[in-house]
Amino acid sequence: MKQYLKETLVELCCAYTIISVVGAITNIFYGSETNNANVLMMFTFCTIAVFVLSMHKILMRFSPLVMMLIQFVVSLGLCCAVVFVLSFIEPVTPRGWFEFIRSFVIIYALGGGFYYYRVFRDAKEQDKLIKEIQKHQESSEE
Amino acid sequence: MKLNLYEDKELANEHVDIYYSKMRPTVKQLIDTVNSERPSLAGRPADEDLDDGEEIILDPKEIYYLDHIDRKLFAYTRTGVYRLMTTLASCEEQLWNYGFVRVSKSNLVNIYKIKQLKPDLNMKVYASFDNGERICINRSYKKSFTEYLQRMRRLSE
Repeated sequence: MKQYLKETLVELCCAYTIISVVGAITNIFYGSETNNANVLMMFTFCTIAVFVLSMHKILMRFSPLVMMLIQFVVSLGLCCAVVFVLSFIEPVTPRGWFEFIRSFVIIYALGGGFYYYRVFRDAKEQDKLIKEIQKHQESSEE
Repeated sequence: MKLNLYEDKELANEHVDIYYSKMRPTVKQLIDTVNSERPSLAGRPADEDLDDGEEIILDPKEIYYLDHIDRKLFAYTRTGVYRLMTTLASCEEQLWNYGFVRVSKSNLVNIYKIKQLKPDLNMKVYASFDNGERICINRSYKKSFTEYLQRMRRLSE
């Protein structure tokens, strides 16, 4: 448990750093600004996403695609719940909900696409290694 | 590999000399054979009762994969399925040198028999054999599987 928490916190730090830097670059590029509430919200969403994604071991019996979809639904649900609770303090407009879901889906789709690419690339590399080993074995038997 | 056999009727002490450039799996297999440590797996055809079936010695090179189902271990070859009276863990230890690697909690596959490794659309990676069967490479074993392949490639060069 201690090891799991340690690893997850390291992942959270890395993920939040990347998101913050990308956010800062985007803000510079578009000339926009963020505020303290946005920073805290971004950190909350990042924490939810990292903890949900780190639970992949309990979803081992499902295929990676199904696992990704389950994690997407759970993390989106939790983030929506946070926004819903906060909307009692500061109202969220329909446009705000749309922007929030769109941002979430885009990041998740990019991450999913990268994972999909890695699965295919790794399988291709493993297949190449197997072919090389078989070739060496055949030549040493001759 | 070149093989020279010398017959000497006068020879009192039979021996084997192996000249090798690198300790490859094939060389290790030869050493096992000379030392009488070559793993031989005894199995009975799976479709017969344990007491009735004749025990057959299986050559590891003929086995495609091992499957552990309901506390029973089965070896799949081109010609049939055989039940082995041993454990998957001991087979893993005994056969790593023969190209067998763990790919899931209940499967050991022979990498020399894999025809193709390909992911499905649902991202599950399957090893296909030339007998048409497929075994899923569990993603929790992916790292150890890749490490095993890299080690075997280094050894076989």
